[in-house]
Amino acid sequence: MLTTNKLYFNYPTSPSVLKSINLELKPGNIYGLFGKNGEGKSTLIKIMSGLLFPKSGNCTFNGRSIQQREPETLQDIFLIPEEFELPSISIKAFEHINSVFYPNFSKEQFYNLLEEFHLKPQQIISNLSFGQKKKVLIAFGIAVNTQLLLMDEPTNGLDIPSKSQFRKVMAASVDSGKCIVISTHQVRDLHSLINHVIILDNAQLIFDESLDQVTKMLWFGRASSTEQTGLIYSEGAFGGRSVHARMDKEETEVDLELLFNGVLNEPARINQIMQNNDHGTRV
Amino acid sequence: MGQGFSFQRVIQFIKRDLVLLRGTFLTGFLVAIILVFLFCLLNMVWDQKLSLEEFYGIFGIIYIPMGILFTFALFREFGNPKTNALYLALPISTIERLVGKWLTVSLIYTLVLSVLALLVGTVAMAAGIILFGANFNLLTLFSESYLTIVGTYIFVQPVAMVGALSFSRNKIGKTLLAVGIVVLGFFLFNFLLYAMFNHKLGVFDEDGLGSMAFNKAGMDYSIVGRWFYGFIFGPLMLVVAYFKMREKEV
Repeated sequence: MLTTNKLYFNYPTSPSVLKSINLELKPGNIYGLFGKNGEGKSTLIKIMSGLLFPKSGNCTFNGRSIQQREPETLQDIFLIPEEFELPSISIKAFEHINSVFYPNFSKEQFYNLLEEFHLKPQQIISNLSFGQKKKVLIAFGIAVNTQLLLMDEPTNGLDIPSKSQFRKVMAASVDSGKCIVISTHQVRDLHSLINHVIILDNAQLIFDESLDQVTKMLWFGRASSTEQTGLIYSEGAFGGRSVHARMDKEETEVDLELLFNGVLNEPARINQIMQNNDHGTRV
Repeated sequence: MGQGFSFQRVIQFIKRDLVLLRGTFLTGFLVAIILVFLFCLLNMVWDQKLSLEEFYGIFGIIYIPMGILFTFALFREFGNPKTNALYLALPISTIERLVGKWLTVSLIYTLVLSVLALLVGTVAMAAGIILFGANFNLLTLFSESYLTIVGTYIFVQPVAMVGALSFSRNKIGKTLLAVGIVVLGFFLFNFLLYAMFNHKLGVFDEDGLGSMAFNKAGMDYSIVGRWFYGFIFGPLMLVVAYFKMREKEV
């Protein structure tokens, strides 16, 4: 669906933000795009939506260059930016003037989502809080039914109940033809939502694996002080949460935060384990 | 929606702009109505008449600056970093965006303001007849003055479009400054050409001829020159606007 090939980007008079990024996004997945602040997550999302142009390499969507911003390409891509300003019109008017550009837009889905978010179509957008504005845009982004939905820090500005509401709505909206990319530095917000992890660090792609593969190859938990076999990363001296090569251990639920920290600390080792298909190797 | 260039998409885009800027347009047209009415009325105080030339003089004073202001307003969404991500991600091609904006600020704006000005001018004339005993004069759009004003605007407006696309802050001031510098540059260019081709007249030695040279340099000197300037300030600026829009990043 979306492919980036040796993507390189830097802002004028600044060091490179993205170096040689190779990615392939496939339909039916929800990708979590993680990285520390300033590691290029938003930049990558903007390149994927044609809002920034790579300095070298390319980014294509179904074989077409996104940089060209052709309507046929943009009809199937929707971006929910981190920071935005919506016009001072009613939600209904907003839907009316923008939905016409998206052939797969579902009015019914949009108004159902608004109801779910406790918003009324007659409400004037400028009178809403930032979190409510974000909900309007999330509802619109889901209802346009584009093949690719890009979300940059979608949970910023949402309160705690809204975050779980967001997870619920997102989980219900994914289907086999859609691909969703959620960029965030709040790894916990995407718990039980994503099925693929992408991690950027030092302007490079250091991890790109499905959660199935992570579950298969890694073990998350609190290992005893004597249980040090296959230890990759630990958060405490004794009894802290840790990541191990799974080997013959029981399957565990992926701890995204731990995985993220583990990858940042031991990228080479984790990637080496992920490449093995025999449940990890004893190291 | 059709593929490539879709006129239907252009219409939807124009509708979108009109909804988003309806407040700006309504206020602008209201101000225009009041100004046209007052200027027409004041004009009749002195000589109890409102000639077609006088009416189009008033129309031009309001029509061109207001059109320029509308052009800047129309590109506000494009230049604002908080709104341009959603705007640029809309599935509309660059040429459709340009055509939509140009039609809004040239064709639709001209039509609406012309009709409004004509109606308000007629009402003002009726008021002038009652208040000052002014003579009746039929106001019409079929006039050379009207076509000259609209023609001038059509060639000036793309310059404002490029200004609105090029500058992120103080757009109007910077555009005026840039236009001023360009006009000054062309003025000096004309003057140098005049001096070069008429050096036998000693334009730099004799005061009279020097001022004559300045006067001549202030005007376009040939039909070729007229076409040259017309091309620079008209279609070429639209081409520049197209590439500015196409290459825009957030």
